[in-house]
Amino acid sequence: MRNSAPEKFKLGLFVVLGTALLVAALYFIGNRQNLFTKNITIYTHFRNVNGLQTGNNVRYSGINIGTVAKTVLLSDTLIRVEMRVGEKLKNVIKKNAVATIGSDGLVGSMIVNIIPAQGTAGFISSHDTIQSYSKIGVNDMLTTLNVTNENAALLTSDLLKITSNINEGKGTLGMLITDTVLASQFKQTLFELRKTSEGASQAMSSLNEMIASVNFSESLAGVLLSDTASGVKMKSIVANLEKSSEKMIQVTDHLNHLLSEIEEGKGTLHYLTQDTTLVQNIDSTMQNIKSGTARFNENMEALKHNFLLRGYFKKLEKEQRKALKKADQN
Amino acid sequence: MNATFKISSKVNLFFTEVGDVTFFAIRFFKQVFTRPFETKEFLRQCYLMGNRSLLLVGVTGFILGLVFTLQSRPTLMEFGAQSWMPSMISISIVREIGPVITALICAGRIGSGIGAELGSMRVTEQIDAMEVSGTNPFKYLVVTRILATTLMLPLLIIFGDAIALVGSAIVENLKGAVSFQLYFNQVFEALAFSDIIPATVKSFFFGFAIGLIGCYKGYNCNKGTVGVGEASNAAVVYTSMLLFVIDFIAVFVSDIFFEI
Repeated sequence: MRNSAPEKFKLGLFVVLGTALLVAALYFIGNRQNLFTKNITIYTHFRNVNGLQTGNNVRYSGINIGTVAKTVLLSDTLIRVEMRVGEKLKNVIKKNAVATIGSDGLVGSMIVNIIPAQGTAGFISSHDTIQSYSKIGVNDMLTTLNVTNENAALLTSDLLKITSNINEGKGTLGMLITDTVLASQFKQTLFELRKTSEGASQAMSSLNEMIASVNFSESLAGVLLSDTASGVKMKSIVANLEKSSEKMIQVTDHLNHLLSEIEEGKGTLHYLTQDTTLVQNIDSTMQNIKSGTARFNENMEALKHNFLLRGYFKKLEKEQRKALKKADQN
Repeated sequence: MNATFKISSKVNLFFTEVGDVTFFAIRFFKQVFTRPFETKEFLRQCYLMGNRSLLLVGVTGFILGLVFTLQSRPTLMEFGAQSWMPSMISISIVREIGPVITALICAGRIGSGIGAELGSMRVTEQIDAMEVSGTNPFKYLVVTRILATTLMLPLLIIFGDAIALVGSAIVENLKGAVSFQLYFNQVFEALAFSDIIPATVKSFFFGFAIGLIGCYKGYNCNKGTVGVGEASNAAVVYTSMLLFVIDFIAVFVSDIFFEI
């Protein structure tokens, strides 16, 4: 039974394609693990590698740069992690870079993250050891969570007691919740408070309108609010007013004292204001003086006509006339 | 007493059959490296088993990738882990599902075909005639077929895996808006040599098992035309069982060497 040429070609194609697929798959997988590129080996040390395995990825700032080549237990507290990274990264990773172990996602496999550090340092070379930083692991987190859970249980228990007391109306909070009278009072208070706040709001708006209507540049209010010289004057005026009011108080006190004395019948003014007999005496005295003055005028007129004193009075008339003339001339 | 006798005779028959298959395999290994090599027949068998099975394997693999991805998506989405789809699908297909499904398909198509073909040749005394004419029928019929299945099945599995991953990528592209580049980046990110190498090695054993059982059942067929059907049927049944046994052993050994 002979094979035809097309059959042979098809078989050859089938075999070549199948083999090529296998080789390509192996190449891509190997390439991911840096098997076909030049690599350098760097080391770091951890106390706990949290399940890191050979072949796990090594990332630098989030980019896959290599794989974990080996993990070696050096002592009871020290594990050396050997990492194989691309040779090209010799000019990227610095000696002060820090390696940490993390997880690829929440449930992913473990990875080594190399984080660039600040500051200046030389670039790494093969077989260098970089420093490491151990982040909190899942077990540590679970331990912390356990403590938190216990605390939460205690808190819940206390909270349950508090809520049962509240439900029973015990304590201030219970009274606040269960007392209906207090609730109505509280409602009334809130209502009043609301009214007050509305009034305050209205007052504030009125005040705002008033302030807005004030001409600050030319009005008295503007001067009062903005002119510092006027402010100083106002201060002195207020101070003077204070002094004046103090003196006014003193005067008022004296007047009160005087009035009380007058009312009590002490002093001359009491007689002047309160004694009616004195008033009558003064009145009759004044009438006597009036009549006396009229008689005195009559006597003086009689003296003018007396020959002994007539010359004197004529002399006085002449002097008066002279003085009048001088005044007219001036 | 009768039941005990039946069980003991079944056990006896089973071990006798295992012994016969072992001798058959030893005979194969003895003759595979001795001249003359039946190259043309070997290549013809490779073509028949490889190329002619490619369409079936390809279609099955494509649908497998589609369905597997569609069925897995809702569960992974519940956990918000749909980004893990390429990793999960690729590892499942490359490690286990691809090789086993392809091998089972080939056991049905190739194993039964070999059993029926050799059985009918035995029944119609063509094998005896070949012996009489001086041709070594074992070398011409058995060695070429076992060798062809052993070498072609790994290639079929590679094609099947690749096509299944393409099917899965199409679903991810349509449903999850994941580009083909991103999908295959994640696939190769997830896969390791420890996934591909054990799967490829065990596929050689799968191919060998399919060829060996098919040839054994067909070559030792008797009882006339009824025996041909029995041989064909037994080839498929025993091969399928043997495939799972081999798969178990392969996974066990892979775990020892690769820590999967």
